[in-house]
Amino acid sequence: MRKGILVLVPVLILVSAPAWEKLLAATAKPTPILSGPLAKLDIKDAAIETARGKPKGKLTIAQHFALDPGWLDPLEHSYVLTQQHYDYLVHDAMIKPMPQGEFTYSLAEHAEMTADFTKAAFRLRSGLKFHDGHPLTTQDVKWTYENYKGVNFKLFHDKLQRIEMMDDRTIIFHFKEPFVEFLDLYNGGLSGIGWIVAGHYYKKVGRDGFKANPMGAGPYKFVSQEAGVQMVFEAWEEYWRRSPGVKTIVVKGITDLTTRMAGLQTGELDLAYGMTGKLLPRLMADRNLRWDPNFTGPWWLMFPGYNEAESQFHDKRVRQAVSLAINRQFLVKQETQGIGIPWGNWVNQENRDALRGDGKDLPVPEYNPEKAKQLLAQAGFPNGFDFEWYVPFVPYFDMGERILADLRAVGIRGKLQVLEGPGFRAKMAQGRKGYPGNRTIVQNVGPRPGGAKAEIGVYAVCGGSASFVCEPPIEKLWAKHQASVDLGERDRLIKAIQRILIEEYYFVPIYLNPFVHAVGPRVLPEGKGFHRYWDTLHAPYPWPWEIWEVKD
Amino acid sequence: MRKYILLRCFYSIITLWLLVTIIFAMVRLTGDPVKMKGDVGADKAYLERIRHDWGLDQPLYRQYTSYIGNLLLGDFGHSFEKSLPVRTIYLERLPNSLKLGLAAFVISMVLGVPLGMLSALRVNTWWDNVGKTIALLGLSMPGFFVGLVLIIVFGVQLGWLPVLGKGTSAFIWSNPSTWVPFWFKDWSHLAMPAFALGWYFSGAMLRITRSGMLDVLGSDYIKLVRLKGVPEQVVIAKHALKNSLIPVLTLAGLNLLVMVNVAVVIEVIFNWPGVGQLLYDGLSNRDFPMVQGVVLMSGLMIVLLNFVIDVLYGFVDPRIRLSR
Repeated sequence: MRKGILVLVPVLILVSAPAWEKLLAATAKPTPILSGPLAKLDIKDAAIETARGKPKGKLTIAQHFALDPGWLDPLEHSYVLTQQHYDYLVHDAMIKPMPQGEFTYSLAEHAEMTADFTKAAFRLRSGLKFHDGHPLTTQDVKWTYENYKGVNFKLFHDKLQRIEMMDDRTIIFHFKEPFVEFLDLYNGGLSGIGWIVAGHYYKKVGRDGFKANPMGAGPYKFVSQEAGVQMVFEAWEEYWRRSPGVKTIVVKGITDLTTRMAGLQTGELDLAYGMTGKLLPRLMADRNLRWDPNFTGPWWLMFPGYNEAESQFHDKRVRQAVSLAINRQFLVKQETQGIGIPWGNWVNQENRDALRGDGKDLPVPEYNPEKAKQLLAQAGFPNGFDFEWYVPFVPYFDMGERILADLRAVGIRGKLQVLEGPGFRAKMAQGRKGYPGNRTIVQNVGPRPGGAKAEIGVYAVCGGSASFVCEPPIEKLWAKHQASVDLGERDRLIKAIQRILIEEYYFVPIYLNPFVHAVGPRVLPEGKGFHRYWDTLHAPYPWPWEIWEVKD
Repeated sequence: MRKYILLRCFYSIITLWLLVTIIFAMVRLTGDPVKMKGDVGADKAYLERIRHDWGLDQPLYRQYTSYIGNLLLGDFGHSFEKSLPVRTIYLERLPNSLKLGLAAFVISMVLGVPLGMLSALRVNTWWDNVGKTIALLGLSMPGFFVGLVLIIVFGVQLGWLPVLGKGTSAFIWSNPSTWVPFWFKDWSHLAMPAFALGWYFSGAMLRITRSGMLDVLGSDYIKLVRLKGVPEQVVIAKHALKNSLIPVLTLAGLNLLVMVNVAVVIEVIFNWPGVGQLLYDGLSNRDFPMVQGVVLMSGLMIVLLNFVIDVLYGFVDPRIRLSR
């Protein structure tokens, strides 16, 4: 017996050695890269699952847009959130939002920033490689940074002093001045620069060649595409985090809601986006289909030109009356079959620096048409008034009509201005300048990664690219925020700005918008477990893809 | 005859140049595509970079001359929305549109022409009423309605036919082995969109065949042939049908071009990857090169068809070529 134990112990030790090594590596404190005081970074560890079965089955996805091959190239990353759908398939980032947290280690296993935000350092995981087997090293990280031409590229290039490659796995970015937003912007959730592109391959195939036939280090290898119509991806079993669960992913661009619904019902589709709308009751009634509410952000109203004295919306009481006139509960029932949640803030609730609008930080707006009428009378409009246009977000025209009916009930009368998608987007991108006059209400929803500060920087400060609000108290707080390197102080300032925007009714929030996604019967797990695919913060789509499973 | 053909050729080139110029100007009236690509909150440097990449930072005359110059080299430009050369994308889609258009064309002819003939031959009978009802339904029930009904009945309820796309068959220009199988595969995918598209045109074909046949059957030469004692089948097949088909074929040719190039609604409903959807996406997204490319190619088809018809007319009827 004793002999047996004596033999068994060394065997067990030998067998379990690799597991111990991994455990020790995971628990060991990483060797520091930078010297001096460091900023406290909240980056979660990646959940590595090594022992997985073979990928199996096919997942067919319906995207509600025509597909753009440009989405496959992180170097030219646009502002369109949909591009990340493809980043998460084919490519991999140094850090990226994952179910574990908004900042989660991915290609990088360790990151540091100096307390003065002038240096950022990363250490890559060992043994990383691209789909073609070529090792992924700091050379590729550097090449991607230097060749990046997407959103914010100028900011990244202007701030950079030099890139120092310590070795194949360790890299340091030196900045000319404090770059407080670096980690926010370098995070895969916000721009393309953190998604690492294989320089050797890009140089070989060229810009068009890369878009037509991309190659990366993500969980799925690109197989083929018909521009605008379909893209096919196949599981890459050597992906460092885990072997993907699904063998083949097919993405189809299907713009028509009825077609997506029919595809789900016939079993030709397994996952379809953008199912909110007239067919939602049919989707909810279908026993074979399941759906996820996928809250992307709140709807809100804006008053372009409100700060001009002749505008009817110049008076805070009028803007408050607009808010009081809206029956949010009814709207939620009519528009979303009761899924939407009346909300008291205009910023996406998943942002860490956002105030919650469910009564915790900010109250849920009240529905009180009588009080609305009183406020209008106090503001000098006892019989209400006519404004020019109500501009609904395209194509939510029914919702616009319902809100107009609520406003009309208290005496605020306007006409619906129906724009086509491109026209609406182009006007919105200009902010207040896109809407001449000062008697218009604009409806918007704008899920934007990067925190409440990103939303405020765009819509609510004088210099914002789509500014609708320009108020000295907000400007003062914003200037202080921009100058501060104290993360706690920045957070407080951003929350103070949000409070002003809501309490002064510069923006009138409506409800949290569910951008419903639906899955067919082949998607695993059966029952309610499938909701876990929507766990990643700020994700309008259900990534990461490697965790998806379907019936074979 | 040579002079006549050269003159026709010259007219065709002028027509195409006018088309190219008009569409170049028209798309630019729709607004700024850069703002769309940038979306709300886009930084200025990024927008400028895109504008430069797309050549929209150049003065209009330079954009025009470089567009014409590139066209002459066979370069239609890069799609703003789909980020690849327009020519590559268009050529990828064209076979799908041809397949759908030809199948719909056959359905419209098979339904419309025999029923039109039957209506004319059995005028004011039960057969004629059936024919007229079908023609009315064909013209009054739009393709999207027929398409949705087909999807619900044959796709969702019965589960007999797939509702999405064209199937797995692909026509790859660089791979000749795909050229023939492409046309004979995935008929289950083709059936519903082809019927929905062909159905609408079959109504028009039915009516024009019926009226053509009635005109011819009432003409003097048919009466003469009948008086000569020629069997009725021969009168219809040899003398009446041939002459009544002239307007039918003219309409059929135009219908085919429409079915190939602008079957937008059917393509969207059935997610059929044709050139109609390209045009629709291009217009929706201010994709100037794509709209210009698709319109130019459609125009080219029409101009070529007219050129061929004009030349054939010239051969058939010498008075035409002499009068020009």
